[in-house]
Amino acid sequence: MTRASQTLSGFFLLLAVASAGLAARHSRATRAPAPKAAPAEPQITFDRDIAPIVFRNCAPCHHPGEAGPFPLLTYTDVKTHGKQIAFVTRKRIMPPWLPEPGELKFRDELRLEDAEIALIESWVDQGEIEGNAAELPPRPAFTAGWQLGKPDVILRAEKPYLLPASGSDSYWNFVFRTPVHRSRWLKAIEIRPGDKRLVHHANVLVDREESGRRLEKEPGAGFGGMELIIESEAFDPDSHFLFWKPGSPPYVEPDGMALRLDKNTDLVLNTHLQPSGKPELIQPALGLYFTDKPATMHPILLQLDKDRMLDIPPGAKNFLVSDDFTLPVDSSVLAIYPHAHYLGKDLLALATLPDGTKKTLIHIGSWDLNWQAVYRYAEPVDLPAGTTISMRFTYDNSADNARNPNQPPKRVAAGNRAVDEMAHLWLQVLPRESSDAGVDPRVAIQEALALHHIQNDADDFEAHYNLAALLQMRGDLPGALLQFTEAVRIRPDDSTANNALGGVLFASGQLDGAVAHLNAALKGRPDYFDAHYNLGNALASEGDFQGALLHFRAAVRLNPQDANAEANLGSALAETGNLKEARLHFERALEIDPKNELARENLEQLNRESQSQPK
Amino acid sequence: MDRRRHSFGVIRLLFLLVVVAWLAPPASTSPRAQNTASDLAGNPVDPLRSAGGKIVVLVFVRTDCPVSNRYAPTIQKLSLEHAGKALFWLVYPGKSESAEAIRKHQREYGYKIPALRDPRHVLVKEGQVEITPEVAVFDTGRRLVYHGRIDNLYEDIGRARSAATTHELEDAIAAALSGKSLTVDAAHGVGCYISDLE
Repeated sequence: MTRASQTLSGFFLLLAVASAGLAARHSRATRAPAPKAAPAEPQITFDRDIAPIVFRNCAPCHHPGEAGPFPLLTYTDVKTHGKQIAFVTRKRIMPPWLPEPGELKFRDELRLEDAEIALIESWVDQGEIEGNAAELPPRPAFTAGWQLGKPDVILRAEKPYLLPASGSDSYWNFVFRTPVHRSRWLKAIEIRPGDKRLVHHANVLVDREESGRRLEKEPGAGFGGMELIIESEAFDPDSHFLFWKPGSPPYVEPDGMALRLDKNTDLVLNTHLQPSGKPELIQPALGLYFTDKPATMHPILLQLDKDRMLDIPPGAKNFLVSDDFTLPVDSSVLAIYPHAHYLGKDLLALATLPDGTKKTLIHIGSWDLNWQAVYRYAEPVDLPAGTTISMRFTYDNSADNARNPNQPPKRVAAGNRAVDEMAHLWLQVLPRESSDAGVDPRVAIQEALALHHIQNDADDFEAHYNLAALLQMRGDLPGALLQFTEAVRIRPDDSTANNALGGVLFASGQLDGAVAHLNAALKGRPDYFDAHYNLGNALASEGDFQGALLHFRAAVRLNPQDANAEANLGSALAETGNLKEARLHFERALEIDPKNELARENLEQLNRESQSQPK
Repeated sequence: MDRRRHSFGVIRLLFLLVVVAWLAPPASTSPRAQNTASDLAGNPVDPLRSAGGKIVVLVFVRTDCPVSNRYAPTIQKLSLEHAGKALFWLVYPGKSESAEAIRKHQREYGYKIPALRDPRHVLVKEGQVEITPEVAVFDTGRRLVYHGRIDNLYEDIGRARSAATTHELEDAIAAALSGKSLTVDAAHGVGCYISDLE
């Protein structure tokens, strides 16, 4: 850093000015120039000393079109707000940066050095002198519009959200239908959240199961809610953080870490909005940037939590929630995202290596939901297998916590609403190649994680479901059956879990059970393609081809592009003697997928039979 | 922050100045007019003089202060609730905020309250305010009975409650209307400094 000497002198200045500052304040009342009590003390000027700090740390948000409420680009701008700037920097309200400084560095850190803060304060006390224009660095240039250049695809929210003029914070979700017709790789999604002055943070969730759409009152309308449950995983199966906060440049994934975007995938933008005093329309847009380079590295998102421990009595000032998870394989931590709501106070994440050394992964001494963020490490943090990651979050449910949504305080438990609490720590982790050839290290981590969550809470639906899916993937049907059964025990009406259990029962030859659970899946979601398809198969296996026909027809109606559903519908038709229509569906299946073997074989058989049996 | 650096002597001096202005013929061409606030057309206005027996509430705001902007619905609502008895004025102390910018601001935020420019900080001093949004409440005898925050919605910049739990401005209006000599304890406002260096 070339600034070292300058900031050092600034630091000593603070000590010298402490008493001079008082004098200056008195003198200002009479509008006399600041007394030159210490003639050796160099004059601090905007052009030489303050502009570099402001241009680098403040201007990225404080310029027109960005989140800052006023520009900080000129001497006049800064002078107008000088006292304010000294105040908010001294209290470290600005620039907004929650983590305490530590051994590990983050990308795009927005933290002023103590000496820089002292310099600003002294400059204000000295009367905000402009200085010599020759020493003024060039005004920073900013790109208007898309920061990463013209996106390959721009998606705009179909309907804007009307943010009321007053009231408490709003949480609104926008569902974007993506227009890709085949799987594509994304290197970046640039989030333009609408009016940046109103959006505190936003993150994109990849929704492959239309979970978001089902919550919209009408298509494109969006829906309210602070925390989302998106099927498949709470974040994304490809495990990327897609996050926007004011002042953070959009993130481009490194080569080999692209994000897969499939056909029929929705992107759900979760936004946290704060009223401005007048009604505002919020209409975000997403810019998609494609790449030809597919993902070769596959990070996963680890979630530590102890929601069950979140039962905070009113008045508690230091309620501790902790969780510890031991990594089963060597891994690199790429990013970290601690999350609590309005009672969160001190958020700490530690790594204890097998040799006993401890690393602070992140420490936020004064949690503020408004400035929550995903923090990406400047360099990946390598942790060997056997490292224990510890979450230590404390909560303040007293009346002294101004943000406490309950006044007077009430007992608060875990939940998705703003008045509930959360204790989540997410880490984006890249597992390193396992020496155990053939075992995907991601599976090892996911399995360890699911078991960990079940240990924490035997009624953790997602953990049982995820563990079952992993076991099924590994071919352990009895194990999968057990875990899916647990998931359905916890949520008997959950369509996804019933469908999965039905599928495993079917695969294990337990047809009656399969039919019962697949029917249960359809009860909750009559338009559930997978359940219709599976139930068709189960009924066909029982010899009930009429029943199977109904469900294959429904499947084809719901997804006209699925070759297997067409082929199976053809088979059921053939079994019920409707050879003419069966042929049409086999042909349709081959039209969709010329390589569909079932359709080809059945069609060949139909042809053979029609030749051998004269009409 | 040293809010008490205005001694009583200063306050009395200010009152004297006001009395002098009172006695002088109101002529906008007079050099003394420079020492008053003005309406958006540039005419000098002394909001305490034209109160017609009502109490006066001066609300200090900036067009670009997000905290005072967030209070717009509250300010507008309170002014309507007390319309018969309290005269509300929005005071813009920012030297660089033009009448045109203020008009636009009023439209955008739905303000129906008359606005004053106070670039010389005459009313700022009279109301003993330092921050936007702070308010100064004067009883019918032109006595300053309260100056400070509107309520405690904000504990600090960026640290807001989901709703205010104390309502200092409403208490001060009630006290002023009751005619009691009671004064409400001044509480600091949270928001943007009114700069004297601007």
